[in-house]
Amino acid sequence: MPTAGPRSGDAIFASVERVNAELFTLTYGATVRQLLTDLEEVEEVNKQLDQMGYNIGIRLIDEFLAKSNISRCVDFKETADVIAKVGLKMFLGVNATVTNWDAEGTCCSIVLEDNPLVDFVELPDTCQGLHYCNILSGVIRGALEMVSMKTEVTWLRDMLRGDDSFELQVKLLKQVPEEYPYKDDE
Amino acid sequence: MIVCVAVVGHQNNPLYIQSFTEADDALKLHHIVHCSLDVVDERVNNPRKSGPTLNETFLGLLYPTENYKVYGYLTNTKVKFIMVTTDLDVRDADVRSFFRRFHAAYVDAVSNPFHVPEQKLQYQVKAIDDCSLQTIVDYCHLSCILDGI
Amino acid sequence: MGREVAESCVDSLLTEMVSTYCHRFYANKPELAARRIEAIGYQVGHQLSERFVFRYTMERPRFTDHLEAIKFICKDFWSELFKKQIDNLKTNHRGTFVLQDNRFRWLTRMSVDPQNESQDNSADGENKAAQATSMHLYFPCGIIRGALSNLGIPCAVSADISNLPACSFVVRIKA
Repeated sequence: MPTAGPRSGDAIFASVERVNAELFTLTYGATVRQLLTDLEEVEEVNKQLDQMGYNIGIRLIDEFLAKSNISRCVDFKETADVIAKVGLKMFLGVNATVTNWDAEGTCCSIVLEDNPLVDFVELPDTCQGLHYCNILSGVIRGALEMVSMKTEVTWLRDMLRGDDSFELQVKLLKQVPEEYPYKDDE
Repeated sequence: MIVCVAVVGHQNNPLYIQSFTEADDALKLHHIVHCSLDVVDERVNNPRKSGPTLNETFLGLLYPTENYKVYGYLTNTKVKFIMVTTDLDVRDADVRSFFRRFHAAYVDAVSNPFHVPEQKLQYQVKAIDDCSLQTIVDYCHLSCILDGI
Repeated sequence: MGREVAESCVDSLLTEMVSTYCHRFYANKPELAARRIEAIGYQVGHQLSERFVFRYTMERPRFTDHLEAIKFICKDFWSELFKKQIDNLKTNHRGTFVLQDNRFRWLTRMSVDPQNESQDNSADGENKAAQATSMHLYFPCGIIRGALSNLGIPCAVSADISNLPACSFVVRIKA
């Protein structure tokens, strides 16, 4: 059977089951607030959100690969593009761009101008150290780990802190060669 | 022009009140808002007289004073919106549209995950030079007073 | 049509939120985990009802009794969240309402947390699965309680899943 090429983020988003974004936005917001109440320390909440994102990312990658029709064997540069153009679009319905590549091609920025996680959100003064969208960086880190890329994902700019966009820096730490389940001699 | 707007919670607790006149008028306007709450309660308890039509969200003119007209709006979540104007010739449609946008701003403000129900709100208003209905609603952006969680 | 996200975003978030509270924070205290999950639902329901009241009831007469408010939950509110209405509404006319969704989407869609999934069919495995399902249901129960409370109806809400995939939410209004 001939395989169709990769699908665009817009086409996938148009075809998947979608729901009211307010439910998603408010559920995430209420979760963050509950975590702040239970964990008290903003830094602990950042860690927890990242962990939750990581767990989601390692599960969401299969759905992503299946729906996007993208083969797993892509280099880091292509991968970053795919996250921005396809991944974020097909799940969150937002557009993102990739910029600020370093010379080695192992570090770049994903820039979002819009993000449904932060609709209606205004950070209280007591939460200035909170990376409100930390779940998102966790998702990217988790998903990339499942395609053998160990990364470090950090927020460089955050609209909730007064910046003009969201900027996520994705740094490739180690690319583990794909492990095939069947070796030649077996 | 609009001289005062207020949002009042379901236990008649003020969530937001702002006057747009000289400071010494503020007390008088707050008193007018306070009195208007009784009119709202009375309308709700005697639904026949309530609003232009039965049990409508928009309560219409609550009462006219010598210098002001006071309008009211009551949501299904029992939140009251009050507006005091010095315009004596106000179109019903304009007042309705004012309340609709005022209500929308309120809804977004209380959708902030850090908002605590029944907590006071504050406007983030840039300079309002012209207190006409339209300008005020254009600047209408309620936001929470965020003093800790 | 307002803003949308892929349904799997909501599914993943709910699964992970429930799992965080049940397995990581309160692994040995399910009643505490349940209370936190319900509290998150309560806030969401409270806020959603404010938004949906604005969207749907601004041009309508105000609710004059509990039944009208509950019908609003069954119709407009449920449709916004699940693209369908509640299938059946019953009441004993003494403050108890039963809202039945014949095919509750979060039960048919949401995967039970893998950490809790049991491959064998032992009673223990089934028990765990049932417990995980009931943990997930504290969230929609909280949503309904939050929404009704914001409409001026203090109540207690529980879920009954004896007829899967149907789910009944039992609302007991506090006098």
